[in-house]
Amino acid sequence: MSQPDQAAVSNRLLRAMSAEDYAGLAPHLVPIELPLGEKLIDINAPVSHLHFMEAGISSITTDGANGKVEVGMVGREGLVGASPVLLGTDRVPHDHFVQMAGEGLRIEAGALVAAMDASTTLRRLLLRYVQTEIVQVRQTAYINAIYSIEARLARWLLMCLDRVDGNELALKHEFLSMMLGVQRSGVTLALQALEGSGRIRGRRMRIVVLDREGLEEVSNGGYGAPEAEYARLIEGT
Amino acid sequence: MPRYYFHLRHGSNLSRRAVDEEGDELSGPEAVRPHALKVARDLIDRTRTDIVRDWFTCAFEVTDEAGRSVMTVPFAEIVEPDEGGHFMPD
Repeated sequence: MSQPDQAAVSNRLLRAMSAEDYAGLAPHLVPIELPLGEKLIDINAPVSHLHFMEAGISSITTDGANGKVEVGMVGREGLVGASPVLLGTDRVPHDHFVQMAGEGLRIEAGALVAAMDASTTLRRLLLRYVQTEIVQVRQTAYINAIYSIEARLARWLLMCLDRVDGNELALKHEFLSMMLGVQRSGVTLALQALEGSGRIRGRRMRIVVLDREGLEEVSNGGYGAPEAEYARLIEGT
Repeated sequence: MPRYYFHLRHGSNLSRRAVDEEGDELSGPEAVRPHALKVARDLIDRTRTDIVRDWFTCAFEVTDEAGRSVMTVPFAEIVEPDEGGHFMPD
């Protein structure tokens, strides 16, 4: 099978690798489609494969007595399965599923760990990536504790926007309600406010972002710091 | 199961309306009020927003699949949070 050329991949981690590290991984990368709803990692099931996201978004969710809520998001900046496997375990108590259809490059856990053990530069990059996931999730904890629903929604839309091409997101309010852990009415209310101020245009099951900077303003500092930290740690910018 | 739409009325004189386009499937009309109150309680308890100043002034305007009005449930109908199981010293 032909391996994707490093210059042709969309995944920002793969692009940030040294040519040598990429060449070591490439023979193990298998392109796959990621349809909506596909489980990439099951709660507490052994993680056999990791996925470098090429397009689409994978959600990390926690499920409990009070419902299911998103606690992490991985798109083309990331690697689904990184934190358990790279930190030396084979399972994680969270669901990982495809929230927005796309595609990825799949790699067997053993092959990735072997490559990481063989290269200090690869190890450094991938562990830095795990750090960016931690920064993202800490920001989420902070936002969820004190921010308004409209700021949280604005941040979430921006995070999705970073991970898709174009300015359109296909989303039901019901789904946003689950992702944000807020009643659907609260989501509708916040979307209406964003629409009223001309930042988005909402259609049934579809949100078009009209004013990205406006959304950043609404996020009130909620968006941006983890994204900047990713750029600094992974891309050196 | 029938689907009901819970439109959120808010603002001064409840003049603003957040239209529910998706709705919830419920067992029947008897389930509408309990559902509305449950959602209202959760909004009051946990949802921070600058859009609604006082959740207790809001109401759900409920319609059915044909768009007919089923009932209006004011958030103020929520009883005090001491019902059900809270330990009350005598």
